[in-house]
Amino acid sequence: MPDFTDHLKPRYDGTATLQAERDASTINVRDLANHLLSRDGFLQAQDRVLKVLSNEKLFKKDQQLNLSRPERYHLGLARAKAIRRIGRTQGWGDKEYAMAEYLNDEMSPYFLHMSMFVTTVREQGSEEQQAYWMPQILNYDIIGCYAQTELGHGSNVRGLETTAKWDPVKKEFEIHSPYLTASKWWNGSMGRTATHAIVVAQLLLPKKGSKTDDDEYQSHGPQPFIVQIRDTKTHQPLDGIVVGDIGPKYGYASMDNGYMLFDHHRVAKSAMLSRYAEVSDETGALNRRGHPAVVYGSLTFVRGQIIMHARLILARAVTIAVRYCSIRRQFKDRDSTSPADEELKVLDYPTVQIRILPLLATTFALHYTGEMMYNLYHKTRQTIEKGDFGMLAELHSASSGLKSLCTMLAADGIETCRRAMGGHGFGGGSGLVGTNADYLSKPTVEGDNWMITQQVASYLIKKMTHAVANLDAPPKDPTDELFQFYLKNRAHRIPQTVAHDGEYDDQAIVDVFQWRAADLSYRAYHARVVEKKPWTKLMIQLHNLSRAYSEQILVTTFFNSFHETATSLSGPTPGVLKTCFRLYALFTLDAFASSFTLTNAVAPDSIYSLSDAILDLMTELRPHAVKLVDAWSIPDWLLDSALGRSDGKVYEELYDMAHRRNPLNRVTFNPDWRSDEIVLGSGDGGRHILAKL
Amino acid sequence: MAPPTPEWVKQLTPSGPQGHELLAAERASSDIPVDQLSTLLHTKEVLDRKQQILTILKSEPVFDKTQNYFAGRTERFETALARAKKLANLKVKHNWNLDEYRTAHDLISEPGPYGLHDSMFVITLGEQGTPEQQERFLTKAQKYEIIGCYAQTELGHGSNVRGLETTATWSPEDKTFIIHSPHLTASKWWIGSLGRTANHAVVMAQLIINGKSFGPHPFVVQIRDLKTHEPLENVHVGDIGPKFGYNTMDNGFLLFNKVKIPHVNMLARFSRVDPETNKFVRQGSPSLIYGTLTWVRSTIVMQAGSVLARGVTIATRYCAVRRQFQDRDAPASEKSENPVLNYTMVQIRLLPLLAATFALHFTGKAMMELYQENQKRMNAGNGNRDSSKRGAGPEETQSGSDILADLHASSCGLKALSSTIAAEGLEVCRRACGGHGYSSFSGIGPWYSDYLPTTTWEGDNYMLTQQVARYLLKSARSVINKEPPTNDTTTILTEFLSRSEVGCAFDIIGSDADLVSAFAWRTSFLTFEALKHRDQNKKPWNDLLVDFYRLSKAHSQYTVVKNFYNALQSPAVTSQIPASTLDVLRKLFRLFALNTLEQEGSEFYASGACSKHQISLARTNTVMKLLKEIRPHALRLVDSWAFDDWVLDSSLGRYDGKVYEDLFYRASVTNPLNGITVDPYPSSDVLFKKVEGIAARSKL
Repeated sequence: MPDFTDHLKPRYDGTATLQAERDASTINVRDLANHLLSRDGFLQAQDRVLKVLSNEKLFKKDQQLNLSRPERYHLGLARAKAIRRIGRTQGWGDKEYAMAEYLNDEMSPYFLHMSMFVTTVREQGSEEQQAYWMPQILNYDIIGCYAQTELGHGSNVRGLETTAKWDPVKKEFEIHSPYLTASKWWNGSMGRTATHAIVVAQLLLPKKGSKTDDDEYQSHGPQPFIVQIRDTKTHQPLDGIVVGDIGPKYGYASMDNGYMLFDHHRVAKSAMLSRYAEVSDETGALNRRGHPAVVYGSLTFVRGQIIMHARLILARAVTIAVRYCSIRRQFKDRDSTSPADEELKVLDYPTVQIRILPLLATTFALHYTGEMMYNLYHKTRQTIEKGDFGMLAELHSASSGLKSLCTMLAADGIETCRRAMGGHGFGGGSGLVGTNADYLSKPTVEGDNWMITQQVASYLIKKMTHAVANLDAPPKDPTDELFQFYLKNRAHRIPQTVAHDGEYDDQAIVDVFQWRAADLSYRAYHARVVEKKPWTKLMIQLHNLSRAYSEQILVTTFFNSFHETATSLSGPTPGVLKTCFRLYALFTLDAFASSFTLTNAVAPDSIYSLSDAILDLMTELRPHAVKLVDAWSIPDWLLDSALGRSDGKVYEELYDMAHRRNPLNRVTFNPDWRSDEIVLGSGDGGRHILAKL
Repeated sequence: MAPPTPEWVKQLTPSGPQGHELLAAERASSDIPVDQLSTLLHTKEVLDRKQQILTILKSEPVFDKTQNYFAGRTERFETALARAKKLANLKVKHNWNLDEYRTAHDLISEPGPYGLHDSMFVITLGEQGTPEQQERFLTKAQKYEIIGCYAQTELGHGSNVRGLETTATWSPEDKTFIIHSPHLTASKWWIGSLGRTANHAVVMAQLIINGKSFGPHPFVVQIRDLKTHEPLENVHVGDIGPKFGYNTMDNGFLLFNKVKIPHVNMLARFSRVDPETNKFVRQGSPSLIYGTLTWVRSTIVMQAGSVLARGVTIATRYCAVRRQFQDRDAPASEKSENPVLNYTMVQIRLLPLLAATFALHFTGKAMMELYQENQKRMNAGNGNRDSSKRGAGPEETQSGSDILADLHASSCGLKALSSTIAAEGLEVCRRACGGHGYSSFSGIGPWYSDYLPTTTWEGDNYMLTQQVARYLLKSARSVINKEPPTNDTTTILTEFLSRSEVGCAFDIIGSDADLVSAFAWRTSFLTFEALKHRDQNKKPWNDLLVDFYRLSKAHSQYTVVKNFYNALQSPAVTSQIPASTLDVLRKLFRLFALNTLEQEGSEFYASGACSKHQISLARTNTVMKLLKEIRPHALRLVDSWAFDDWVLDSSLGRYDGKVYEDLFYRASVTNPLNGITVDPYPSSDVLFKKVEGIAARSKL
């Protein structure tokens, strides 16, 4: 409906503003984008899949935030099905499906089928089991999920309460939930969608030499079972199983996270995935083959993916914040004397820069570490398949610490960006409402960030203990090398200065991050191994150690990328990336200043000059900000943000969303408190509302 | 509604020690008299009032919360409007006064569509209307015969009122104002209660007389028809759409196409247009308005304590019930897992926040008392001095001699600090609950998203800090000019200056008073450093903003630490609780102060307020010892905040510890999604095979 507002324009032209920002920097966006995102043809796949999805009405994101929880699941399932059907007609491979999930940007009810379910069968099923299940899984004849965590137990698999008791007579397992807290809980795709589940349960076998009396059973730890949970025709739960959706969450509205309980439910012997362990028909004993630690293998893989995802999520938030803050104006400069001066762009305020620009730098820090992790995972996987588990400790340790740090940086970063945008950041037009809510689960899923950091710490204590005892043994990895260097030099350490009068010492930056990590490792080793302090008392210290160790990895890996960027990128880009490195490092150093000084990594007197150095670095980075976020190549369709549009039409879009696409404005309400009527003219006296409560 | 629960499921209980046993044991481990401490925090009168109103609310079906977490935007708004109406009816029926009405709102804990009518609309008419205008508008507003809102911020402009684009042009011919929106960015935006509810608005617009602008002023404008509730001609108004939180409120947009309003609609208590001469006339001082802002900010500080306390209550109770991992040092024979609250890693996140709830509470309370005392003094005639020479903002006044200025500056900084502590603290609490914290049934997530806008409204937290810095610089200049100290800020600055040559030696670990002094010292140090940058090195204002932000934070942290310390010394507090409880509160004080000091360690160290060794000692020994000593009292301390389960609406935070039973009940019984049976295969485009229960009644 046309009205007088159709011809109104914003006071400042957003498109021209962004163009001017882009003209002010000579960074070659296309080259940088290729440098960041060419692995596995990412950018080409993005173009291809985007074209398909953005033309389908079902994938329009407009109304998502207005929908209720049941409606969101409804939509989520419809889209998940559609992606599969489109994929078949378009001949998509894994790469395109993954891209479709990324662009669709909501948790698919098939997500666990495609990830943990298929991975677990592939990695832990015997060859026979794989031959039986894999075709059905890949053809979506069955839909699966992964049921590990329980109502009363999260990260600690040893504490699981669900049992799988071996019946030596019938050669079957009986799956049972002895307590309410044994209920499977949080398991994605299980609430309404899945027909099958991988159920992780405590394997109970009769004690040697005993008959089948109940109390003569012994637990052999958690094992995975593949269990049908719903009828393939009626989709109703099977007898002896209660399963459903756990209700609304902070985010993940489209996903049916579920609960599930078993009442002495019987499954065949073949249900236990038996690549690494099998119950013997004759003796009823557990035969293990291969390394039990591999159970953690798929968890490690998921963590690796989470880290790769973190950089793109953070890049998305930073893209929106940088673009909007280059357009938004607020207050004139206090020192301004001319009444003709315009209000300042908020990105020119150091108080805004200090929140956004270090995060922009962080996206690159995460990138280079993500690449390094990706390579490390593939290298380790190959050795596992050859039966060598040697690098698993290193990988598991690195992945858990980095997952913890990277997801925290991204989750906190999204929120920092959202707040840096003032009032509009709170609105649906920011594009960060859903992202924030969905992403916030990351710091707690797949191992709580605070809990899993213990794995890193205990690994480092072990390494340090070894280094102390074998000071001159040939180093097996960079950590050994660092610890030996530290032990040999700790007596005559000279604290460093990393920035002085506009000069930066990049090598020294790497050194102080490594030194701090080594020193904290040594302190933890000393407290635990030498002084024998109780573990729980040390947890905070150990958590800080994990963070310091992971930050050291980010800084070192970023530094190591200089060689490649200097040769493959041209113009100002390598220099700007170096500025990002310095900004990320010095910002982190400043934020944890006391940790760096107390470990003798940096000279205490040099701390005070950091804030000036950070201001200088931000000033250097500022003109390139818009082009740097452009290089992350996040399509407008995915950003789904009025504030972050690449064409700068912020206000036009906000208004259009509010005025023309908002269902609440199609209803006229009766605001008079004396009348029970809610919708004007409906005459229903409020009964409609009460029926829903 | 989900299918019926089978008998074998109903028989199940949680494994191990039961939640209610665990919480009972927690409560038995401390001797804090919860009722006494509650009374100290809230007063008996307030506690009784809450109880009475709660009984009324629980008996009304419209306030049932069961489906809150499931509903879509439009449903949430409809329900909120039904609740707002019911509340207005109850107010009449029970003859509630303003305090009682507000209590009812607090207990319901969701923003309502009458929110801005009840607050800013009525307040502005009362404060800025002449007696004639009050008669004309306020009386009707109080009876809800007109429903209003307060339209200040615009699409392109937030905190800076001078940048507003909406105009009110005086038309001398017919003695009217023409309200107009010249650009799209002039659209009023974010205005609460405007989207669907209000039929009037107080509109802030640039007054233009004869082509000349006289700055922003308030105008009362009717926007919707009183019968049909449709927008008036040339008024374009609607709801701005879904948000991070606050989805029960119809925040709106508003555009005008040359709308005429009569002369009487410009609120004219402080300035008006003379209809005869067409001249702009200023009368009286608007500095009173800053008094109101100061008051609003003080309530935000006090409220921040209680907002955070909700999250801390939920997380503390849940962490006492939730068990995870055996202690690494536990003997292998010991099967049971540890309550996570025993982990220092959980304690270091929750207990300093528990301490912060008390710190913020006592600070807010002290500020409100100071404000009231000052109002009394001003009303007695001492406050009018030189008021004619005052500029608009109180930081423009002679800072060294005016308590209001000190209070105003403190309130800006404290609003920023306390709402940031509360918002970030809630998220820390949510994450400390592990996976279940992410469920809506934790009760923390939705509460957090409704609270978040507080960090950007009433002045963006980052922007506000400039006002504090400006005030501190002025104060420092007056101290350098040897003017005698007249308030706390100038007192600590004078003290610092007199000792800056000699330095200080504070015993931050042994003496609470010294701990407060260390905070004062660091603030003073940063103030004079910033002054040096600005006055001697002539750095541009813009380059100093990050320094100013840090300075403001330092000053606010000092204010909180000082007020918490003072409260625990005052007979009003010490006489009401036993010595052992007072001792626990003092430990909370030390935990809050030392934990803050440790986090800001490099500033304390750089200022010379304490040594590297002291900071290291505080971190590794003192703070750890305090956590251990406070730990047994944690449950009773959160109990004393006295949140009813109905208010918390949280499975994890239940008073009786029945966490798992409640999570399971809500998921399996109240969850409409479980009434839906789907067809899961991608090959079929059928989505739902069967829909039962509540889900069938909704629009699916």
